Amino acid sequence: MGARLALVTGAAGGIGAAMVRELAARGWRTAGLDLRPAPDALHSVGVDVADDGQVAAAVRRIERELGPVEAAVCAAGHYAIVPVSDIDWSEWTRMLRVHLGGVVNVCRAVVPGMVERGRGDVVAVTSDLAIGGGHAEAHYAAAKGAVIGLVRSLAAELASSGVRVNAVAPGPTDTPLLAPDSPWRRPAFLQTLPTGRLTSAEEVALAAAYLIEDGTFCAGEILSPNAGAVI
Amino acid sequence: MAVALITGAGGGLGTAVARRLAAGGHLVALNDRPGRPLTALAAELSGVAAPADVADPAAVTAMVAEIERQTGEQIGLLVTGAARMTMAPFAGHDLADWWRTIDVDLGGTFGCAQAVMPGMVERGGGRMVFVASEWGLTGWPDATAYSASKAGVVALAKSLGRELAPLGIAVNAVAPSVIDTPRLEVDAAAAGVPVEEIRARYAARVPLGRIATPEEVAEAIAFLADDRLPTLVGQILHVNGGTARARA
Repeated sequence: MGARLALVTGAAGGIGAAMVRELAARGWRTAGLDLRPAPDALHSVGVDVADDGQVAAAVRRIERELGPVEAAVCAAGHYAIVPVSDIDWSEWTRMLRVHLGGVVNVCRAVVPGMVERGRGDVVAVTSDLAIGGGHAEAHYAAAKGAVIGLVRSLAAELASSGVRVNAVAPGPTDTPLLAPDSPWRRPAFLQTLPTGRLTSAEEVALAAAYLIEDGTFCAGEILSPNAGAVI
Repeated sequence: MAVALITGAGGGLGTAVARRLAAGGHLVALNDRPGRPLTALAAELSGVAAPADVADPAAVTAMVAEIERQTGEQIGLLVTGAARMTMAPFAGHDLADWWRTIDVDLGGTFGCAQAVMPGMVERGGGRMVFVASEWGLTGWPDATAYSASKAGVVALAKSLGRELAPLGIAVNAVAPSVIDTPRLEVDAAAAGVPVEEIRARYAARVPLGRIATPEEVAEAIAFLADDRLPTLVGQILHVNGGTARARA
């Protein structure tokens, strides 16, 4: 069996890839789920996290081949800047299916085993926009806000089973989700941040790793490295 | 690794914090009020004893200067664990006692932050971790002074998180729920029950089914003290076992 096994969604890039590297540095084995191959993960499975059947099948296969998933980090997501009047129903639905559905699908697949074993950790990646709201990203903020509601509810529901559920809510983070010409990279925006710079994917990974390994009395916690954007 | 000043280091939580930070490589300066034993812990951790009443600004200034003289370095990490708590019904709470709690818990945090700030700026940055409390977010009957002071500490951490970030100083706070320390005896005495009973009562309110250990809160403080988190500022880390609370 060897080292403990962690499942990371969105493992091909950005926060998910940083998470895989951080957990590996701490001695974990990692299984990465992503639409694209996840080269940093020990095992990479091509999956759309919005599809419950695909996620369930991937987790069954991973647990059969590698053993029980002891920690899950849900980092898969996408981002778009769209004024609310222009968000069409399919974009709205896709945002919710990926962000909220991604966490739901992973939890439905891994939590029963965790409860049975009496231990396990889930960390969802949400956003400071879920707390502070945002401009022209209502579908993203709403989906991430729903994740917080889900995390706090699952945390309360599962605490007595020995399963802890928490979240990280990063601010604007230096990942490929922010295009090179993104307004969040402009000096005029960075000057509005108290720290004057974007959060790094590594910082978010450190926060998530703390919640998994060291935050043994944290449940339903939303930890937000966000450059001071939302305090 | 930076010199770390830990106030209230003689208490249950402060001692755990001092041990955790020393184990992580910090040179620790240990504060508690004059007369409280610190020398044994300072010897154990190869640290510096720095007694002072944190509610006395002149004493705090002198303490910081003395720490810098003894260590030859400016303080790079401040953890404000010094606090007092008394429990009494609000209407009958002695006014002097009420204000003493505010002056130590909130005023002491302010005074220590102000005293270490110039050194942090000079050394190019630093971190501060304030010890707030779950009760500062939810309030608690018969603990109005303590709850008000800790709510003030939350707002102070948020304000300084904003104000000091441009200077490279990251300010955050932990808000623990009830911790298993000798201070539980205050609560037990106020409730007129044995300490085991008060521990069980508090644990029953926590989804994780127990109260926090000092080491768990110390670990949270060590996380917030981590220099690798430059954009974690103005945040409140709730170490509360999943206890429902107001958002803050």
